[in-house]
Order: sequence, then structure tokens, then C-alpha cells
Amino acid sequence: MLLLAAAFLVAFVLLLYMVSPLISPKPLGLPGAHVVVTGGSSGIGKCIAIECYKQGAFITLVARNEDKLLQAKKEIEKHSINDKQVVLCISVDVSQDYNQVENVIKQAQEKLGPVDMLVNCAGTSVSGKFEDLEVSTFERLMSINYLGSVYPSRAVITTMKERRVGRIVFVSSQAGQLGLFGFTAYSASKFAIRGLAEALQMEVKPYNVYITVAYPPDTDTPGFAEENRTKPLETRLISETTSVCKPEQVAKQIVKDAIVVTMGLFRTIALFYLGSFDSIVRRCMMQREKSEIANKTA
Amino acid sequence: MLLLAAAFLVAFVLLLYMVSPLISPKPLGLPGAHVVVTGGSSGIGKCIAIECYKQGAFITLVARNEDKLLQAKKEIEKHSINDKQVVLCISVDVSQDYNQVENVIKQAQEKLGPVDMLVNCAGTSVSGKFEDLEVSTFERLMSINYLGSVYPSRAVITTMKERRVGRIVFVSSQAGQLGLFGFTAYSASKFAIRGLAEALQMEPLETRLISETTSVCKPEQVAKQIVKDAIQGNFNSSLGSDGYMLSALTCGMAPVTSITEGLQQVVTMGLFRTIALFYLGSFDSIVRRCMMQREKSEIANKTA
Repeated sequence: MLLLAAAFLVAFVLLLYMVSPLISPKPLGLPGAHVVVTGGSSGIGKCIAIECYKQGAFITLVARNEDKLLQAKKEIEKHSINDKQVVLCISVDVSQDYNQVENVIKQAQEKLGPVDMLVNCAGTSVSGKFEDLEVSTFERLMSINYLGSVYPSRAVITTMKERRVGRIVFVSSQAGQLGLFGFTAYSASKFAIRGLAEALQMEVKPYNVYITVAYPPDTDTPGFAEENRTKPLETRLISETTSVCKPEQVAKQIVKDAIVVTMGLFRTIALFYLGSFDSIVRRCMMQREKSEIANKTA
Repeated sequence: MLLLAAAFLVAFVLLLYMVSPLISPKPLGLPGAHVVVTGGSSGIGKCIAIECYKQGAFITLVARNEDKLLQAKKEIEKHSINDKQVVLCISVDVSQDYNQVENVIKQAQEKLGPVDMLVNCAGTSVSGKFEDLEVSTFERLMSINYLGSVYPSRAVITTMKERRVGRIVFVSSQAGQLGLFGFTAYSASKFAIRGLAEALQMEPLETRLISETTSVCKPEQVAKQIVKDAIQGNFNSSLGSDGYMLSALTCGMAPVTSITEGLQQVVTMGLFRTIALFYLGSFDSIVRRCMMQREKSEIANKTA
């Protein structure tokens, strides 16, 4: 009797697996597609641009520094697969002023046609204890990481909805899934991206526009090097529980559009991780106090 | 044999329930405590202030409008339980400039002593479609809801860490647990508060941070629940059955304050996610229906 029920359950799950691709969104065809990558001149953004270019897309790179943009362009063009492909570079600060960003998107669309996929990769990271971070950091990180994703998305959304096709990728972070010691300002900005993405997806789903939120782990990029400059000891120790990836791996995954979620068991494991993080923090705090007392009596 | 295993499991769970209060944080004593409430001149903030005052706390209300502050002060003072209690009012915009906020906290601490509990309730909400919202809304909501919580927290954290005691409450929203149609700018600002709270929670172990969620209820109910959870030191504060379900579902990597909370989350996760998928499906069909109706009426208008 139990065996029969188990067999039914297995058959049902297999059926779901087979039906799933039929109701999932149709994959976006990259050959000939217009892909805009903000923060595309270095790190994960550049690797995403390369990955899309290798699959036949036309790229618009958006970043602030013109020299870095040209260098990235040269690097990307090495991977062309036909004569027609183009890499366009436009220099702008995506977090400053919405009108500037809107203009940039207009320019890009005049040259390479409507935007099929927007990748919001412009962002930066600063690590440090809540009371040690410069007060301006909170607003700065929110401006670059969050507003710098809002403005480009806002500039492309109307056209995507009209054409009934589009992809918007937000690059969050594992620090956008859990708040970690030393990442108050950074985690907040990356969580904000998730809130934006969830709400936006609900608005655009009937228009065949799909949102992807990527949560990369520590990745070997110039941005990561910047973050390490002021990283507290506790943060470093906690981060050692995961390994640093190569940006090419991260980019491949993001482009593949794959996100998988399983709970229950993972929540249990998560609770153990949280416990170990707590003890790392406590240990460091006690050590610091011991050395302070030692210094005072010395 | 199976029965014996089941009996052991039940006994184990009961044991966990009994041990749980022993390793939870010690409740904060409100009588005589100094509670600062930003956004305390109206709504949920005012009700939180009243709730704390009724339990003997000394209150500092922080908001922008001086008249509303005085009115709120009069209302709160009706609930005093002894002669010594004080309600202090300070007018400032908590999102403008950190130095101003730091000064305000200094003033409050000179009059009523160090801050035992900070409630970040200053905030506002704007709802509208992503492409219809004024562009400045995104920055404005982030400034008021997020930075307006960062600055006061920053101003009290060092003293709380030194004294090894304190509570910081962040008022998020259910829209800070899931992104909803029409709430792109608002959800983002409330999700940000969660990220801040989770990261901050890990930094000083002794201070407890709470994020709050509710459905449409009376502000007095909300306030009662928040104050109760704040005193207990629970990371998540929610009201009602959907509040409970949403908090368990979106707990993610959020810390637990009691073993029983963790146990419940592990057990209910799968079921709640299933229910959530049905909810999401119904939201999607509402959105699709409205879209089709709008298009029908546009076509009707054109041919008319």
C-alpha cells in the first residue's frame, strides 16, 4: 500500500519535471540580440559581455572610464564569431542623473536597435564595521549599487513591455541573501536590488519580460580587491567558509539564467553556519579585549 | 519500534521547547528605560511610544513637525503610570544629515540618560508602476526609509556596545519580505533595511535587532507586538497568521533567537513555500487580468 503511494509520488514528480520546460519562459536567442552591460569595463560585467559576445550578441558597454572601456572593447572583440558583430562603448555614471542614463540608452538603441537584454553590473563594495564605515558610505553604496540599477532599468522597461520581450539582469551578491559582519552598507544595497527585482518581476511578467537576480559569491575581480582593502578580520574569517571564484565561471552561470532553490535541509545547515559565524565574531571580540587589557596594564 | 522512535522524537522536541528560554536573550526591562522613537509623532511610531510609556519607559520622540510632536506628547502623557516619567520631543529630519541626528541623540542622552532602545519608525510609502513612478521617488524613499534608519542607529550603536545592552528596532514591512506589484521603490527600501539589520545583528552580539511585518491592522496591535518582540530580543517580529507564514518562509539566512523558532522554520518551510507558490500564481493572474482589461478598454476607446 505504502509502496503504491510512493510509486505514484515518484511518477508525479517525474511528470512535473517533464512538463516544467513547457511552461517556462522561452529562452532568449542571443545571436543578433542587443545586450547592454553596465559596469561592463571590468570584473564580472566584462566577463558577461564576453560570454554574450561569444554567443553572437551585439554589445553596448556602459561605464565611467573611457580608457577602461576601450581596453575592454578590444578584449571582447577577440571573441567575435562573425563579421557583423559590434561592441559599442558609452561613458556615463549610471547613478548620477536619470536623464543622462536615458540619453545613453537612446543612443545605444539608435545604433544597435532596441535593447533585448540589460545587465546591471555597475557596482562597488566597501567592507567595515558599522561604526567604522564613513557615514557617507551608506548613501554612496546605495546610490551606485541600487539607483545605478534603477535608472538603466527604467530607461529600457517601456520598450521591452511594448515589444513583449526582454531580460533584465540584476547582479546582487551572496551578501544580498544574508547580512554578514562588516557588510551593513553593502548588504543593504544588495538586498534592495532583490526587493526591486521581485516587485518589478510581478509587474512585467505578463509582458514576457523576465528578471534575473544573480547572487555571485566572492569573485576574483578588481571590485573584490577594493573590498578587501578595509575588510575586518571577522569578515575575512567568515568569508573563508566559501571559496573565491573566477569571474568567467560566474558570468557563464548568470548568462545561462539558471537559478535553483531548495529549502528545509538547507535551513538546517544554514542554522549551523550562523552558529559558527557567531562564535567567530565572539572569539575575535574577546581576543581584542584581552589585548586591550594587556596594553593597558603594560 | 517505530512507536518508540516517535516517542523519543516528541520528548526531544518538548525538551528543546523547555530549554529554549534559557538560551534566549534576557528580556529588556522597560520601567525606567530610555526609548527613542523616530517617526514617533504619528501612526505606528506613536503607538509604539504609547505602548512603551504604559510599561514605564521614558520616551524621546523624534520627528520633523513640531506641532505634531507636541500633540503626540500630550496624547502619550495620558498613559503615564508614575510621576517620574518624561516625554521629550526633538524636531529633526533623520534622513538629511548624520551630524544633526548625532546631535539630537546627544541632547536626548543628556536629558534622559543613555538610549536603551531605539525604534526606527520614520518612513513613508509611495506606490505606483515602475515606469510611472517619478524618478526622484526611488532616491527619496531610499533616503527616508533606509538612511533615516541608518543615521540614528549609527548614533546609538557605540554606547550600546560599551554598555553591553540595547535594542534597535527597524520597521520594515511585508513589502520588505516580498516584492509586490507597484512597490518597486518601496520594497527596495524595505529590503535594504533587512540587509542592514541582518549584517548589523552579526556585529554586536549583545544588541538585538528586529524587523517588523504586518498585514492591514490597527497600529495599536502592531505596536504591542513590536514592543513585545523587542523586549524579548527576537530578530523577526510579525503579526497574524500570514505574518507568521511570511516570516518563516523568508527567513533565509536570518538569525534565530530561539531554538523553537528555528525548529518551526525547518519543519514548515516546504509547506509554506508550496502555499506561497499558489499565492504568487493568483497575484500573477490578477495582474494579467487587469492588463487585458486595460487593453480592451484602450481598443474600445480607439474604435469609439
